[in-house]
Amino acid sequence: MSRDENRSISAALAAATFTLLGSAVPVPVDAQEESAWEFNTSLLYYGEGDDRVKDYSVSAIARRMFVDDRYLTLGLTVDGLTGATPSGAIRQDVPQTFTRPSGNGAYTIPAGELPLDDTFKDTRAAFTAGWQQPVGETSLINVGVSASREYDYTHLGVNAKVARDFNRRNTTLSAGIAFSMDSLDPVGGSPTPLTPMLDVGDTSNRRGDEDKDVLDVVVGITQVVSRNLVVQANYSYSNSDGYLTDPYKVLSLVDGTTGDTLPRTLTPGVEGPSHQYLFESRPDDRTKHSVYGQAKYYMNGRVLDVSYRYMSDDWEIDSHTIDLRYRVPFGAERYLEPHVRFYTQTEAEFYMLSIPDSEPLPGFASNDYRLGDFDAITLGVKYGWKTRNDNEMSLRVEGYRQTGSVPGNQIIGNQATRDNYPDLDAIIVQFGYRF
Amino acid sequence: MNRTIGLAVLSLLFGAGCSSMGVEPWERDVLAKDEMQLTTDEIEAATDDHIYFSKEASSGGRGFGGGGCGCN
Amino acid sequence: MNKPLLARVILTAWALALSPVALSDLPPNNRLDLSEFRGKVVILDFWASWCVPCRRSFPWLNAMNAKYSGDGLVIIGVNLDQEPQEAADFLEEFPARFQIRYDPDGILAKQFDVRAMPSSYVLGRDGQTRAQHLGFKVRRQDEYEAAIVAALQEEIME
Repeated sequence: MSRDENRSISAALAAATFTLLGSAVPVPVDAQEESAWEFNTSLLYYGEGDDRVKDYSVSAIARRMFVDDRYLTLGLTVDGLTGATPSGAIRQDVPQTFTRPSGNGAYTIPAGELPLDDTFKDTRAAFTAGWQQPVGETSLINVGVSASREYDYTHLGVNAKVARDFNRRNTTLSAGIAFSMDSLDPVGGSPTPLTPMLDVGDTSNRRGDEDKDVLDVVVGITQVVSRNLVVQANYSYSNSDGYLTDPYKVLSLVDGTTGDTLPRTLTPGVEGPSHQYLFESRPDDRTKHSVYGQAKYYMNGRVLDVSYRYMSDDWEIDSHTIDLRYRVPFGAERYLEPHVRFYTQTEAEFYMLSIPDSEPLPGFASNDYRLGDFDAITLGVKYGWKTRNDNEMSLRVEGYRQTGSVPGNQIIGNQATRDNYPDLDAIIVQFGYRF
Repeated sequence: MNRTIGLAVLSLLFGAGCSSMGVEPWERDVLAKDEMQLTTDEIEAATDDHIYFSKEASSGGRGFGGGGCGCN
Repeated sequence: MNKPLLARVILTAWALALSPVALSDLPPNNRLDLSEFRGKVVILDFWASWCVPCRRSFPWLNAMNAKYSGDGLVIIGVNLDQEPQEAADFLEEFPARFQIRYDPDGILAKQFDVRAMPSSYVLGRDGQTRAQHLGFKVRRQDEYEAAIVAALQEEIME
């Protein structure tokens, strides 16, 4: 994944931990061992097709209960990333050469191929800690911190949540807040947005470090409907402020009629880009609103888990997510859980395939496929079993496919003959062990 | 303004409806099961959130609290 | 506001009426007639196999039983499981040195207005509720024990 994706991962882990720490209804503890630690561990492989990103990850969460339902939770994840990611430049019928983000070398993409930047080999470590305890008879409070580090990105965050039960504990109202302070130190320095990619060794358009702050607020309600059905609904608000651009992504500067990327004159003896590319630019503010609903329904041993999320933000991205899981037990020791997820999003307001030279430069522009118009589907199955000493193991295998399209009015001339949207195919394999 | 009033009315109705919905405290055997918790596997949920956050433009959404055995 | 008062009225009426409450036909005890415990202090503890704090309360209940049964304390664990096998499995793992009765339809639980799991009611020697606690908190064990001692000492004060 690109640096921005790495950055997103760190923030995501923080956000995920934020949402999860509070949702951790404690695993029932054997009274005789209740002072012992409980562990939830996993090994993950994530791999994309076409020589793109591969991620290997080890995670562990350790939880210990202290007297009367007070919990300390510690989490650690270590990721190793390799592989290439689309740089934002478009395919051409001729080879293209790009300067590496570090400015220290160059790479060439063969004619007709999607430009992928493969300079991303990185290791990241993320740490979380949280404390949860009851307050009074019907309330719960949870506070936590998160931190992560990879060589060009640092994240620090704090979070807090409260929940209160009403109506004989059938209704729970909850509220949470999380604040992150992230800093990014891109390889070679962050490039001035919408300036050209320069020759190897030329860092005249590079600036230094960048920062970003993120504020997340969630309010929700959980309702027990019947002995077999529990539902939840919540609303989230998220605001990111600061450097939101991906410093490693570019757009191709193209001829306004033919749509072909404009070539660049190279200085003899100097390595540099073969064509003209501009570094992307995103606004320095983003506000998102989401509503989410989930239901879990028990049917004679089987559990159906269905959820829906709608997100809308001020970059004009709208998305819908539907997620379904169906757990089927086999005896008391094993289960199978098929899973399907549908996702669709519309493109950001400043998403564009390329920048035509026939028009004035836009204020913001990005060809990052993750801000584009696409549908995605996940299909997977999880198998879980109890070990001899009553611990749990699980294995899940999932396939993820993204198929997108570029809005028709953005396709110029010869671009129509090429495959412009970098569709994504990925496989996820995760092994889990709880003890 | 109308939207705010509408939302307020909706929440009141929801709240009023909720005040009589539910089960007795001793009828939570099914809800107490691991597989009936809103988040069954926190690492799996964190992993998914992590993957989709880095490959899509949306993130998070899940809430927390509630359900379960309702003990203590 | 009227709920506690209403509960008291119901409890008093019930206690005075001495009507036996029929619980389900499960071994070993299937009918609970609290009048048979007149003169004793009774702890009525509502529990279920899926209730995690119940695992902590059982050792404490056993300890209270050992300490005060000679002084006239009777502990009755009222089980609210829907699946009898689950109650049996729990008792195998957390043995009870006190009586267990079964109330799978929650009739007794409703009469006592159980609002959380577990719930314990301390009934004085006259059958009236003296104290109750919702949930089981290890740090409040002393408080729970004090309520038992107070109920046990009442007759002496008369």
